[in-house]
Amino acid sequence: MTRDEFERCRRRFGDTVEAWPAPFRQQALALMAVERIDDPDAALDRLVLKAALTGGDDRELARKVLARIEAGSAGPSFLPRLLLSPAGFAACAAAVVVAVTLAGYQVAQLQDDPSDTELLALASGSSLADGGVVADYPSEEGSL
Amino acid sequence: MRISDSPNQQSRPWMPAAVRHDEPRGDDELLARIAAGSQSGLSELISRHGRGLRIFAARYLGNAGDAEDVVQEVFVTVWKQAARFDPVRGRASTWLYRITANRCIDQRRRRALRSFIGLDDVRDEVASPEADAEATTAARQELAIVRDGLSRLPERQRMAVLLRAVGDLDIAAIAEVMGSSVGSAEQLLVRGRRALRDHLAVAAVGRERKPS
Repeated sequence: MTRDEFERCRRRFGDTVEAWPAPFRQQALALMAVERIDDPDAALDRLVLKAALTGGDDRELARKVLARIEAGSAGPSFLPRLLLSPAGFAACAAAVVVAVTLAGYQVAQLQDDPSDTELLALASGSSLADGGVVADYPSEEGSL
Repeated sequence: MRISDSPNQQSRPWMPAAVRHDEPRGDDELLARIAAGSQSGLSELISRHGRGLRIFAARYLGNAGDAEDVVQEVFVTVWKQAARFDPVRGRASTWLYRITANRCIDQRRRRALRSFIGLDDVRDEVASPEADAEATTAARQELAIVRDGLSRLPERQRMAVLLRAVGDLDIAAIAEVMGSSVGSAEQLLVRGRRALRDHLAVAAVGRERKPS
């Protein structure tokens, strides 16, 4: 049987080869076996499928899906879901960094508002530990 | 044994019926019923595609528990968005695998993030078929080598190989699922198959040397 004859039989008898009358059935099965051997990619795909097979219960899966639908939620609530997704986690982390930075600037602004005395002390090189008292005898520096 | 309407699938009629998607019209009708709120329609869709999607997700993610979660999420999404499926734009199975592939990628990123921040370990855990399902030790070894080879493939190559072998999708559908061009999907598939064959060949040489 050729592929064309196979297709004609398929249109005539339907998709289920096992239901075809003899001798078409045996010829079709023989053709399918030959094609299976001739196509190395298909043979590899078949091997991959065989290796990939895992157990599982479709009824149990359907029951769980329907339970999830009836619970009205496809997963955890919004916040944990957001935090567990990479984009959500990155967004939250970025928001925290920005918030901490802004808060740091605010605190630093409150603490580091230098008074005129401190600025003068800084400019003259005096220690702030001295109370920011500016040396008041510049004339002595230049004299002998 | 049934044969698919897809020309691509005609050369692979020996694929187990449980993971084949050979009745696009049936799927379209089911999705229409689901869009109308039929839970029995959803159960039927799960019985038709649940196994294939679960195998795909399990082997792509390397973790059966994650795969179960992903497939549940997929069908919940299908329940919510069935009305958005347009049969003119593509087959239902392609749409299902596209949702699954996206969920798998999200799940993998979540896993990587959780592992990075120390919340859990990423372990590859997928139950293998029972021993009596595999006739001989040699066959069992070969399948184990294929599974090992699959797990070592780069992610996108693994996805392409699994979509072909498990999802029974043709190149155009694989490209659609992966959001890539047909050419690059074909390249991924070719490279993935080549890598698997190389892995099998290396393992075979190793097995031959072992007895001596």
